[in-house]
Amino acid sequence: MKTASRILGTAFFLEGFEVQDAPRYGAERRGAPISAYVRASHREIKERGIIRDPSLVIVADETLVPMPAAGVFLGLSAQTMLLIHSREAPEVWRDRLNVEGPIRTLSPPGEDRDRLAWRHIGTVCAAAGARLVGVVSREALAASLKQELAGLNAASLEENLDHARWAYDLMEPGQGRVAPGRWLSAEAFPRPEWVDLQYEDARVAAPAIHAAMTSEQVETGLWRTRRPVIDPAHCKRCWWLCSTYCPDSAIRVDESGRPQIDYAHCKGCMVCVAQCPNHAIDMIPERVEPNAAMAGKDS
Amino acid sequence: MSETRFKTVRNLPPDHLLGTGTAMCAGCGGLEALHQIYDILGEKTVFINAAGCMTLLAVYPFTPFRGSWLYTAMASAPAGAQGVRDALDILLERGRMTAAEDLQTVVLTGDGAAYGMGLSATSGAIERGLDFLYICYDNEGYGNTGQQTSGATPHGAGTATNKGALGYPGDKKDLFAIWAAHRPAYVATVIGAEPLDLARKVEQAMQLTGPRLILALAPCPTGWGFDPDATVQLGKLAVETGVWPLKESRGGKTMHTKVPKKRLPVEDYLKCQGRFAHLFVPERKDSVLLEIQAKIDAYWGAVECHGAVDP
Repeated sequence: MKTASRILGTAFFLEGFEVQDAPRYGAERRGAPISAYVRASHREIKERGIIRDPSLVIVADETLVPMPAAGVFLGLSAQTMLLIHSREAPEVWRDRLNVEGPIRTLSPPGEDRDRLAWRHIGTVCAAAGARLVGVVSREALAASLKQELAGLNAASLEENLDHARWAYDLMEPGQGRVAPGRWLSAEAFPRPEWVDLQYEDARVAAPAIHAAMTSEQVETGLWRTRRPVIDPAHCKRCWWLCSTYCPDSAIRVDESGRPQIDYAHCKGCMVCVAQCPNHAIDMIPERVEPNAAMAGKDS
Repeated sequence: MSETRFKTVRNLPPDHLLGTGTAMCAGCGGLEALHQIYDILGEKTVFINAAGCMTLLAVYPFTPFRGSWLYTAMASAPAGAQGVRDALDILLERGRMTAAEDLQTVVLTGDGAAYGMGLSATSGAIERGLDFLYICYDNEGYGNTGQQTSGATPHGAGTATNKGALGYPGDKKDLFAIWAAHRPAYVATVIGAEPLDLARKVEQAMQLTGPRLILALAPCPTGWGFDPDATVQLGKLAVETGVWPLKESRGGKTMHTKVPKKRLPVEDYLKCQGRFAHLFVPERKDSVLLEIQAKIDAYWGAVECHGAVDP
């Protein structure tokens, strides 16, 4: 998404806009939600920091929609267009999310639901966004891609250009439908919601955790793009292997000596699949059922 | 050396103490080593954690530990350990805690702190004979901030601060030798890909008092550029190519615990990592590859001359 914001930002810039684009990381970890912002204007931009009233919100990964940490709904208003990379129809999302603004979906090409196949998602999102705002030409988009993806080889760049053209064309019915944002004056800018904390003794003020293993409440299973599945017919119950190698302690051995994968926490690194001497662990694409993901359960 | 309770892999603990749900990357070699070490150390530990990737293990209000964890600045984990050990000793002395309730003081840092910023505080703690165990998860760079070069970065590796055609021009600092030169109670290298060797060394360390180092090479999918599923495979390659010698030192004497019978060419280890890709494409940098291989051969040549003992 950082790359997507750069592609869109540079495309705006090539069209003569003043631009800001910036990624925003939460936990700096593989699998953690990431978002990025683009601001573009013909006037000097004096706003700084995150965008509080977006005109367009693009969601590349629909499983992030229900995650508060992803902040998909931050500042969403009736004027904000929501573009979701999803096979579900816009009406389904409208029912599900109960938002007033326009919703569009961008259905991933092909039948493959393997999330690893979404290699060009950044380019696709940037190109779709460029068409929806309506002021970025096809040429500026292509020039921006060539500039931002200069490190790729010629074949990869061409693939990205193809995907960009596809997404740009697909969004034609929505061309220019994104409403420009309001011009904020410094006076209108909301004051930060500071909470004054009085200086306390360290015994009171230090963020002490008084319970053990509370991290188990964090469902890192949501990070997974691929799922390891143990085939009980082939498992020789040499439990020490997968269970010891699993970096996340997410494989436990039950009383009968059978390893059990904790899908609420397995991050999908596939170390167990690579190390199982009997090849008894299969790897399948993670098929996220949006309804299950909404409920925070994915196993 | 006393009898080990870890004779075969079947003696490794079936239950794991470290909680799930941490923010470490999928396939983290450091977390793999830590969870194996924690299983041997047991619950009666207090971790003193310097800033680094594993700072994010315990982010309020979540912790994967069963006991206490204290966060310190990057350079001062051994000083924090001194404070904790002193406090425990005072409680013991005043009878406010029984010997059975005593805790092991365990420093946990990455290589940025262990090889660089924290070295002065570490040297001082060893000098004072502080009774503590120091665990370093060494992913050969400042991984938490995007893999900048650290004192542990190996020769030729590409990092966020060495993006040139030849990578990092310096050499990996020999932290094992730096520690061993202080004549501490125990120094050992381990890796999560060799859990039995790791368990025996942690067991050894626990039977001793004084300053002890467990130095774990931590294959890092994010910083080194490989698929998370290859963490163990890469760890085994580090041992089999001789890049990461498994050894221990006590009483001034160093023993190698696993000498690869026929060392694989170091290329096997380098070519599966993105941080060394520039040594192979667009053209092979034979001079660098030969130089890296020659250094490994020289190390093992000297070891083999003296049996499994360091020269």
